Amino acid sequence: MDVGFSMSNSAPGEEPPFELAKKVIQKFVQRQVFAETKDEMALVLFGTDSTKNPLEQDGQYQNITVHRNLMIPDFELLEEIANQIHPESQQADWLDALVVCMDLLKKQTEGKKYDRLVIVLLTDLCTQASPDELDIIIDNLKTAGITLQFFLPFPAGDDEEGGGDGDRGGSGHPGAGKGLSREQEQGLDMVKHVMLSLDEEDGLDEIYSFRNALEQLCMFKRIERRPTAWPCQLTIGSSLSIRIVGYKAVMDERLKKTWITVDAQTNKRDDVKRETVYCLDDDNETEVQKEDIIQGFRYGSDIVPFSKVDQDQMKYKHDGKCFAVLGFTKQSNIHRHQFIGNQVIKVFAPKDDEHAGVALSALIRALDELNMVAIVRYAYDRRCNPQVGAAFPCIKQHYECLMYIQLPFMEDLSHFTFPSLENKKFVPTEAQLSAVDSLIDSMMLVEKDESGEQKDMLKVHHIPNPAFQRHFQCLHHRAVNPGTPLPPMEPWLKAALERPEVISERCQAPLEEVKRKFPLTAVEKKKQLKTSAQIFGKDTGEPDAKKAKGDEEEEDYNLADIAEGSVTSVRTRVIVFIFFCLVVVTPVSFPVCQQLTHRIEQLLSNKNTHYYMKSITCIQAFREQSVKLGKADLYNSYLQSLKRSIPNRGLEVFWDLLVQDAVTLISKDEVEGSTVSKNEANQFLITDEKKEEVAAPTTEDTGDVDDLLDMM
Amino acid sequence: MAEWNAYYRNEDDEEEQEEGEQSGGEYKVTGRDSLVFLVDASKEMFIKEEDGKPSNFDMTMQVVRSVYTSKITSSYRDLVALVFYGTEQSKNPRNSFKHVYVYHDLDEPGAKRVQEVDELRGSKGAQLAAKTMGSGETSLGDALWCCANLYSDIKLRLSHKRLMIFTCRDDPHEGDSVKDRQGRTKASDLRDTGVIINLMHLMKPGGFDVSLYFRDIITPPEDESDLGLQLEPCAKLEDLQNRVRAKEKKKRVLNRLNLCLGEGINVAVGVYSTAVPARKPPPIKLYRETNEPVRSKTRVFHTQTGSLLLPSELKKAQVYGKKQIVMETDEVDSIKKFEDPGMFLIGFKPMEKLKLHHHVRPAVFLYPEEDDVKGSSCLFSALLKRCSERNMFALCRFTARRNYSPRFVALVPQEEESDEGKGQITPAGFNVIYLPFADDIRTLDAPQLPCASQEQVDKMKQIVTKLRFKYRSDAFENPAIQQHFRNLEALALDMVAPEDIEDLIMPKVDQIDTRLGPLVQEFKDLVYPANYNPETKPAAKRKTADNGGGAEKKPKVELPEDELRAHVQNSTLGKLTVPVLKDACKKFGVRTTGTKKQELIDALIAQLSS
Repeated sequence: MDVGFSMSNSAPGEEPPFELAKKVIQKFVQRQVFAETKDEMALVLFGTDSTKNPLEQDGQYQNITVHRNLMIPDFELLEEIANQIHPESQQADWLDALVVCMDLLKKQTEGKKYDRLVIVLLTDLCTQASPDELDIIIDNLKTAGITLQFFLPFPAGDDEEGGGDGDRGGSGHPGAGKGLSREQEQGLDMVKHVMLSLDEEDGLDEIYSFRNALEQLCMFKRIERRPTAWPCQLTIGSSLSIRIVGYKAVMDERLKKTWITVDAQTNKRDDVKRETVYCLDDDNETEVQKEDIIQGFRYGSDIVPFSKVDQDQMKYKHDGKCFAVLGFTKQSNIHRHQFIGNQVIKVFAPKDDEHAGVALSALIRALDELNMVAIVRYAYDRRCNPQVGAAFPCIKQHYECLMYIQLPFMEDLSHFTFPSLENKKFVPTEAQLSAVDSLIDSMMLVEKDESGEQKDMLKVHHIPNPAFQRHFQCLHHRAVNPGTPLPPMEPWLKAALERPEVISERCQAPLEEVKRKFPLTAVEKKKQLKTSAQIFGKDTGEPDAKKAKGDEEEEDYNLADIAEGSVTSVRTRVIVFIFFCLVVVTPVSFPVCQQLTHRIEQLLSNKNTHYYMKSITCIQAFREQSVKLGKADLYNSYLQSLKRSIPNRGLEVFWDLLVQDAVTLISKDEVEGSTVSKNEANQFLITDEKKEEVAAPTTEDTGDVDDLLDMM
Repeated sequence: MAEWNAYYRNEDDEEEQEEGEQSGGEYKVTGRDSLVFLVDASKEMFIKEEDGKPSNFDMTMQVVRSVYTSKITSSYRDLVALVFYGTEQSKNPRNSFKHVYVYHDLDEPGAKRVQEVDELRGSKGAQLAAKTMGSGETSLGDALWCCANLYSDIKLRLSHKRLMIFTCRDDPHEGDSVKDRQGRTKASDLRDTGVIINLMHLMKPGGFDVSLYFRDIITPPEDESDLGLQLEPCAKLEDLQNRVRAKEKKKRVLNRLNLCLGEGINVAVGVYSTAVPARKPPPIKLYRETNEPVRSKTRVFHTQTGSLLLPSELKKAQVYGKKQIVMETDEVDSIKKFEDPGMFLIGFKPMEKLKLHHHVRPAVFLYPEEDDVKGSSCLFSALLKRCSERNMFALCRFTARRNYSPRFVALVPQEEESDEGKGQITPAGFNVIYLPFADDIRTLDAPQLPCASQEQVDKMKQIVTKLRFKYRSDAFENPAIQQHFRNLEALALDMVAPEDIEDLIMPKVDQIDTRLGPLVQEFKDLVYPANYNPETKPAAKRKTADNGGGAEKKPKVELPEDELRAHVQNSTLGKLTVPVLKDACKKFGVRTTGTKKQELIDALIAQLSS
């Protein structure tokens, strides 16, 4: 990092390059610390007042300080960066600094294994650099396999903003518009020259501006795990086997570290001791020594002592590692929602075995062409219980593989039945469906852009797990600012979890429409159900009118419970009354009618004239209210089904009573919506079997509800 | 404790699979579930079918047994009773009911009960039943009354009460209207106390007419609209088993929450889990002398002063970058909290955008809760319908519980499907598929290998076609769990050896070989060169094993102490392998509880940095 004096120059109102560069380094180190990567890092400053580096000699390589040797970054380094690194007043040649870094890398990586060597230069390029040895430096970089990255206060090329990578563009670059100094322009040319000679095509991609870097470094690194190979053989029967290697490809990832408990005063873990004692379940809580404890298992109500040794001996054993095909089945037989486990394993052939590659490829392609999957027995190793799972064919542009996903055992499944939603009460109307349609249209996350290509606005698998981000944010805050409360969530993280802005704007109107079309009312639940007597006054039938009219939802709820049968001996008159009260405040809704008809059925099951009379009272009330509210269909359909069941249930006597009272269907004349003509209504009361000519009386109102109540 | 934990973790947590917040979750248990089997013991039940099929009674006993054992394995705390009616003999708590025989009263099922049910199976079972109980008059009213007493005698709190009537007689009292009425009254009394009565009607010559009598006995179906819809009687054991299984478990909602479409548009939904990995139940600690269970008490105290520490005197910490970062316990909780439990609609995507391999957890199922928000079912149903017709899924943000961080989920529509007997195969609702975050997806280097030619592919297609079968998700039992319970059963019932289990997920190698015949060799000839043997490792890698003299493993890497200390100093311990770390632990006398790398590292740091 360049800490020379020009780095602290800035236009008024702008952060000096020094501060920005420092932030870039801080963010970078933080990410490394929390990702717990094994990457090692050194820090070399140039432009320092003093000089401290192994190459200093004869006035060469002056004002360059190796601040920290190659080590795994930790909080110590972060604190040093925060507290010890200040702008200084000298200048140093950035090419010299580069040489010092190369030397450091060479010496300090000796005997270590490494994947990549990178030198990151943060500078404003304000110092004149001597290009004499540029070619030698480039050659050395090439031979050592060192990658270079430059972070500059300004963007490197004019075309960087516009082109290609959509992610990278961003807010304006202060300083970008201003003309660069002559040194800077020369420096930039040199940087470009170096980068292009190292990597002819993408060299310039490794030149970043401080601003862009900060934006990209704002999130903590995602958890990365080195995939471990699981070599095995895929077998089909006894004589066909294919060598394979499995890797976890998708896995429900968790944080590596767990919280440890420490003493609040000393913050020391060792000061806290946890001890578990065992005692008998008697009055004295007699303590039992650990040695006197054996293990057992429950078998229903029995507890079976079963020692670990016995258990080990008797437990299910198998031959260990295996990936054996049980058979093949159509992909449509596998239901996605029955996937189990928390991982997906990709299965390849070993990279050095092309015969296995061809054999596996034949299987993958065969499955793909037939639209089938392999059902396999999978065991990770001898200690792990075997699973059953499906191996799906997966053909990508650059590779082919099988994808293994665990499937359930019989024991894992629970078969629940749910009431059908094809229920008159719930079936949405056309208007409602079209409201939902326009909502879906307005909230489509995948759209074709101008070029006709599909664009996915929200790829959730590109979002880092917010739990981890928040966790590290808080840990970092506590480490750096001890004694202060935890910070609020980062705005970018919050935004990442929300609807894309385009969508939330677009869906406003359709949402309003849905709100209008679908009435939703929260039901307030009462804590404890009371008895009918408490709800409706004593069992005297004296109704508590106030209560009944009070809150319709509450009333509905109570009624529902009555129908469920948790209240005993609700008298019919009470039922009819509630029904009446209810329909006064709410339209004849299906559940209410349902409860009433249920009660009617109950009454009818006691084949007794007394109960028949009560049933008829109920039916009359039902009819009455239906007419009043102009809703005929529920009542009519009930009465029709009742009529159909008469012969089977031997309710002819009841039917005769009903006919006498002339309780028939609601006709068009009474309620407009009815599908029954007056004539049909009259004919209705004539049972087919008997063919009795009952003079159907006119279907006029059968009196007041008050009268009905009196009748009971 | 630590030992046992470590032991079980080792066995059960395959490949370090942690089950932390599996969607299976814990249920809030507020009471015991109970189930009474009320079985008709009339002569008709014992009539054997001509074609050797089991009698209705035999079939019922098999089902009862399977429910007993499944309760033992999955929910042993549920109470189960077995009562016969229409018997000659009577046996009930106060012997106040004639022709009712309480074979098992309401209690947790155990090994002995399973045995006793077994004794009633088959032709011997029929003889035994005839001897002990006989067949006599029927009074369903008395039988139901007796069952009501069973429930009321239970002092425990019952959360779910169910009664299943198994019979093949649709008119049990043969026209006796007094008895009919009595039965109806008692049934209604039972229902009034919250008992759900189901009918498992069995085959009867001429058909079983539910409307004749039982229609008034049973609890009306949940789904009010199809009061008229009645199931066909069960003829097959499998059907009966399925039907009982579907009813036997209470549908438990994991939690109820709101699916929020936008400001003020909240649809109440219930979350159900339909596929959760069943696990071996944990062991119980027993006192060696008496075999009685012991309780464990955990105390936290200060090492120096020995005084007990209250939760307020403790804090939580993690170490990163050689620095211990300390937080209050409630801060740890607050970090996890993002929002209140609920589902928030983000948008919609076409189904093809749901990738097969985006799987991180078992799915859960979503169904509207009309009781919480009126109108939920209608809007839910509209969403379901349109998503299904337009082949879309809804993308939502989902916070399942308090202090759970959100995850993105795909709501995939599922339409209702029924079998011919009008039994529901799949219910209507949304399957909730958990989607991975960037952290959950690993970068793999796929090897570059040649592809197969069409000829090779076609040969494999022949093999695949020969080995086709129709996969059913309930076709495979878990051999490990089955074996465990067979072992327990054998021990509990003093059997000489546990019953053998059939390992259903073992490939039937012989059958496969016969079916494939010469195809295997033909395929091998097409893809493998003559000298290639896939069973062995490639030659280059085998050298060490060949001349190394057999079992000799890699020479142990001894790590000098100063090097180890340097690793601790530079926090580079992570670079060492697990065996090396274990050796180091041994060498420095560090006792470790776990075998995970991180635990070894933590232990070594604790030892060497102090």
